[in-house]
Amino acid sequence: MEMEEIRGTFKPELIPEETGGDIADYEEALHVLMKFVGSMSSALEQVSGRGANAIVYQAGKRMGHDAGKLMEKTDNLEKAMQELSEILGVEFYFEMWKPSDQEGYTIEKGDETIVKLLFMDCVVRQTLRRTGLPQKGPLCYLLYGYMVGAVEEVMSIKGKLDIDHVGPNACLKTLTIKWGGK
Amino acid sequence: MVEIVIDEDACVGCGSCVDDCPNEVYQMNEEKAKTEVIKAEDCMACLSCHEICPSQAMEHQDIHVAKRLYIDRKVSDVLNKII
Ligand code: SF4
Ligand code: SF4
Repeated sequence: MEMEEIRGTFKPELIPEETGGDIADYEEALHVLMKFVGSMSSALEQVSGRGANAIVYQAGKRMGHDAGKLMEKTDNLEKAMQELSEILGVEFYFEMWKPSDQEGYTIEKGDETIVKLLFMDCVVRQTLRRTGLPQKGPLCYLLYGYMVGAVEEVMSIKGKLDIDHVGPNACLKTLTIKWGGK
Repeated sequence: MVEIVIDEDACVGCGSCVDDCPNEVYQMNEEKAKTEVIKAEDCMACLSCHEICPSQAMEHQDIHVAKRLYIDRKVSDVLNKII
């Protein structure tokens, strides 16, 4: 493989003007990263069994809390979802979803509010499919944790995310938020 | 709303899509021994039915097609040359 070498003088803390690499290199890097992450996830599952989900969930949750700190606090669920989708970006494109016979997107049940989220684009799903791993495994829990952590931080509530269904083109999750603080 | 088209010639009437769809979009037409769409308005375009159907008998029109960055273009290019 031919490689274009970049040469120059370099000082500590300096960002080089040219970092090299074109779009094809990034694509290759993405594939390598996907393979790495995929095999790490399956190894983790092999070693710690179902405990892997809990470990990854906690890691995701911590990341979510950190990300949530950068967001504006709100007690409006729809606004929180909108902010979250901005933070998650196009790689985790989701929308609220409801069955046709349900009136609004949210259901109130005692001190809980329930909303269904349809994840259409998801890098985790792509990574799993790239590595031939099934969905709903530890890597999915990273995203669940992230979502829950971010929602908890933004709304100062306790949250829970359950998987309803996973598919090759979209996954449906139920987000339950418990009012009354942490 | 998602438009779902079933190719009745291709459908072998196995009922896998009926069992697998989480939103009960399909039902079996016992007379024809083919699947039929009864609740397209509840389809969320997850495409699980595409994955399970042994004869690729369904088509979902005008849906959000998820990004598939995992498809290795180099491998696909090689395959395209062979096939
Ligand atoms: S795409 Fe999903 S929701 Fe729609 S018909 Fe197929 S399995 Fe059901
Ligand atoms: S899974 Fe495919 S072949 Fe089986 S009933 Fe459904 S459409 Fe027909």
